[in-house]
Amino acid sequence: MFEQAISAMASVVVDPYLLGLIFATTILGVIIGVLPGLGATTGAALLLPFTLTMDPVHAIAVLATIYVSATFAGSITAILINTPGTSAAAATTFDGYPLAQKGEAGRALGIAVISSTVGGIFSVIILCFAAPLLARVAYEFRSPEYFALTVFGLSMLASISAGGAVKNLIGGIFGVWLSTIGAERVTGIERFMFGNYELYEGLHFVPIFIGLFAISELLVQSKTVNKIINTVTMKAVKLPTLEDYKKIWKTILRSCGIGTFIGVLPAEGATVASMIGYSEARRWSKNKKEFGKGAIEGIAGAEAANNAATGGAMVPTMVLGIPGSGTTAIILVGLMVHGLRPGVYLFTEQVEKVYQIFGSMFVANVMFMLMGLYAAKLFARVSLVPTQILWPIVFALSVIGAYAFQGQLLDVWLALIFGVIGYFARRHGFSVAPIAVGLILGEMVETNLQHSLKMYDGAWWMILAQPLALMFLVFAFLGLCGPMIYSWITKQKD
Amino acid sequence: MKNVYLVPLILSIFSLAVIAIALQLDTSPEMIVGDSMQARSFPIFLMILKLILIGILTFQFYKNNPKPVALEKYHTWGSMFLFLLFYLLTVYTDMFIGIFVVIFLMSILWGERRIWVAFLTATVTPGLVFLLFDYVLKIRFPRGILMNLYYG
Repeated sequence: MFEQAISAMASVVVDPYLLGLIFATTILGVIIGVLPGLGATTGAALLLPFTLTMDPVHAIAVLATIYVSATFAGSITAILINTPGTSAAAATTFDGYPLAQKGEAGRALGIAVISSTVGGIFSVIILCFAAPLLARVAYEFRSPEYFALTVFGLSMLASISAGGAVKNLIGGIFGVWLSTIGAERVTGIERFMFGNYELYEGLHFVPIFIGLFAISELLVQSKTVNKIINTVTMKAVKLPTLEDYKKIWKTILRSCGIGTFIGVLPAEGATVASMIGYSEARRWSKNKKEFGKGAIEGIAGAEAANNAATGGAMVPTMVLGIPGSGTTAIILVGLMVHGLRPGVYLFTEQVEKVYQIFGSMFVANVMFMLMGLYAAKLFARVSLVPTQILWPIVFALSVIGAYAFQGQLLDVWLALIFGVIGYFARRHGFSVAPIAVGLILGEMVETNLQHSLKMYDGAWWMILAQPLALMFLVFAFLGLCGPMIYSWITKQKD
Repeated sequence: MKNVYLVPLILSIFSLAVIAIALQLDTSPEMIVGDSMQARSFPIFLMILKLILIGILTFQFYKNNPKPVALEKYHTWGSMFLFLLFYLLTVYTDMFIGIFVVIFLMSILWGERRIWVAFLTATVTPGLVFLLFDYVLKIRFPRGILMNLYYG
């Protein structure tokens, strides 16, 4: 197994086509990451249709590369223009921009690049070891366990984004309901199709995701027209000095652990990881007063954690089919579209492909490090592309991408409709990521519930008699009610 | 009524409508469904769950009194109108004419003052995307005025 994994990962380096593809995608990912508003999720949604004709490994490598490189690249604009290219880089602005204002933009970027690379590579190594182990545990799962696991994943939606637990759960339920549109899988009864037979097989993920992530973002960006951006000048990206390394190595290691762990949790992603990485860096620092004024530990803490979360988030996505964020939801769709069924099967029957994907992520981390060190200044200029040019182009890519998926105009209209729905949802504080995750998990939760009921002759309480299923349901309950119970107990004590 | 309560109201109406539609769905014979669920049960269960959450959300709004959401700028409404225009142009002329017109007008609407830049963006972008999808990805686009000329 180990030998097979190593040879599969090494095959990435000797495949010039795949290397070229990762190189090109890393450039694209960095560009997407530095463009405020675009980010890894929108970028992956826009690129998904382009990967349809690719070999499965190449397609997932492209999506995974976009994920890791755009997550890193968000830090470039966070440091230079105080605007995080991605939400995961928000914590980087706290100390990155103040350091850049002091005339040390190059040093700030150097710290961000090295911390991101270490975080990314660390998490890929953990991914290589943790994913097969988890897959072995998942081998024991039957319908009740999968049902409970999916409920657990859905319960974690409560904290997937900043929208607030109740709003996120409402979004998640709406997503699950969307998955019921079309013919019901057991009985074939048509649900919510209104006579439209193009919906017989249900809503396809690709146009919905393009709408929710790309088109809705376009409408959100329409409010930032004429926004003035202040940039700081940068001479060159500097590698951290030996003194810097002495100061930040513990922070980087801590954030690697935090980021990977947070990433593994279903529905927790790079944004949460970077915030926790930053606050832990501050908590353990001897120079707490420097934080917010350009502390390099703050940049290292946030950046190592957000990139470590990318590898961690791939664990539940590939092993259990439960995505941890909008971007991993798109990668999951990519896997399914290419016939790679996430789960135990992937790790037993297609193990070579899995390790090639992991190898691609490893290579992508090295590539974005080189680009970050040698071309950050150039990439930072991309962020100055005017919105009135950029977003009309995004519109064209979105509608053609939605059409290209199945060659149906209905998919284009769905993308536009869900773009408008996503926009109004976001305007009122609802995040679109829970809708996307709910849509993916919807079929899984309903089918496994049906199978479980059949297994136990309708006795639903028998699901609770399965130890693993019970454990997941208890976790789900604690995830939902834990914070409320905790605050109630604290109030009682006071 | 404050406009913040419009959101729970719309969501509630939507949930009730879904329940009403679900109740009219066909039912399956007992021998097929067995001890499992009817096709209508799951969506109804979801909507009941959603109604409970909407109740909690309304209570949160009542307690916290959130700020009402400001109205959209004309750029946003204009962009949505352009989506509608795109639909009409695609259905009645050609998808690429729709894309060209929307990109051009969107650039102008969002503040591009140089007409030639907007024109260039509107021409080059769909052109390059078409070449990529047609030659590399081998995707056939829907027939319309331009595509009829191209495909013959």
